[in-house]
Amino acid sequence: MKHFRRPIIIVTMLTIVFGCARTESKDQTVNAIPRTADGKPDLTGVYQGGSTRRGPWDFQVPGDQPGVASPETQSVFPAAQVRKDPIPFQPWAKEKAQEYLNMRSVDDPAGRCLPGPGPRLHAVGLFPIQIVQTPEQIIILYEYFTVYRVIPLNAKHPDDLEPSFMGNSVGRWDGDTLVVDVTGFNDKGWVMAGAIFHSDALHITERYTRADKDTINYEATIDDPKVFTKPFTSSTTLMLREGTRLREYICSENNEDILRYEELLKRPELFRRTPPDSSK
Amino acid sequence: MAKSLFKIAGFILLLAVARNIDAHHSFGAEFDGNKTVTLKGVITKVEWANPHCHFYMDVKDPAGKTTNWKFEGFPPNVLARTGFKKDVTLKVGDSLTVFGWRARDGSALAHAREVTLADGKRLFFGPPAGTGEGNPVLK
Repeated sequence: MKHFRRPIIIVTMLTIVFGCARTESKDQTVNAIPRTADGKPDLTGVYQGGSTRRGPWDFQVPGDQPGVASPETQSVFPAAQVRKDPIPFQPWAKEKAQEYLNMRSVDDPAGRCLPGPGPRLHAVGLFPIQIVQTPEQIIILYEYFTVYRVIPLNAKHPDDLEPSFMGNSVGRWDGDTLVVDVTGFNDKGWVMAGAIFHSDALHITERYTRADKDTINYEATIDDPKVFTKPFTSSTTLMLREGTRLREYICSENNEDILRYEELLKRPELFRRTPPDSSK
Repeated sequence: MAKSLFKIAGFILLLAVARNIDAHHSFGAEFDGNKTVTLKGVITKVEWANPHCHFYMDVKDPAGKTTNWKFEGFPPNVLARTGFKKDVTLKVGDSLTVFGWRARDGSALAHAREVTLADGKRLFFGPPAGTGEGNPVLK
């Protein structure tokens, strides 16, 4: 009886080892980057920015304290945008941006329902974006302001660009990363929330890397020699949201804020704030 | 190993997480994040519209005087994903408890963050205080 025991142990161990390997392989298949027929990563899908959580749409639910999200659902907003350094504003621009903040961003173009460049739109976790990929072009649809971007691949920027809120985009593949060059902006927008305004010299280089099935790492290099002293980066993750669809957001339908702002601006003492003196 | 840990810790310290929660407009210009309010009342009107849904509620004060309050929150698309259904979740005549922040002009207007329905279910009707107004100091 004893001589049967060793083969049984070996077979059992092999079953466990190959069983685990098969499970791992299955997981890798599940999380593998989807690819198109030409072998490029397929970015097609609906995504949520400003979240790192996998699974369905990520929204906040109330926790124990009134108005405060439960700890499990708090991350969706604070993680919206990550950057490594302070914004390298030129001195005059830093002063202007601080004044915007002193006025609690009452001049934010978004308050007048105006869209902004990609880094701003991608970081908003409240609204999904949808990417549609073809071999010739990438289309990005934004629920936020119900706007879109058409990104031709391997094309040149047109030579008749008019200044625009979202700029003109052209893309190319750098290995598995989609690189998008964006130029042709007007000087009316904020490239990021929090008074990070820009001029018509804004130039953005975006990199979209689908790290796995659920995740696109988005990094934007923001350059504007009229406003900043050097280029800087802003990044966020775009998480796949299967089962989520884009809905309508027509911001200008009943924008009462414009009239309220007009009234408030007559009494700025109501809301204007003085930043704490950092030198003390 | 220790060196690697220090490098990782250093990198984490370098990351400046921007807490400029984005939305349609500045919270702070219109509402005061220091003036919280919790009100119970009966819904008199619901406006399912962009860029903010509103509902109105009759609130009785201890002296018996009724004031009709207006509450502001997410647009319809966001409310739908947050768990609200038009004409079902909030209806005229429903009793409701609202937590939010008052308007700076002192009127009967508030930014509604959280609502508690008659059956005890709690949902977020709007974003948190501070939304869109940016940090006090540029970072």
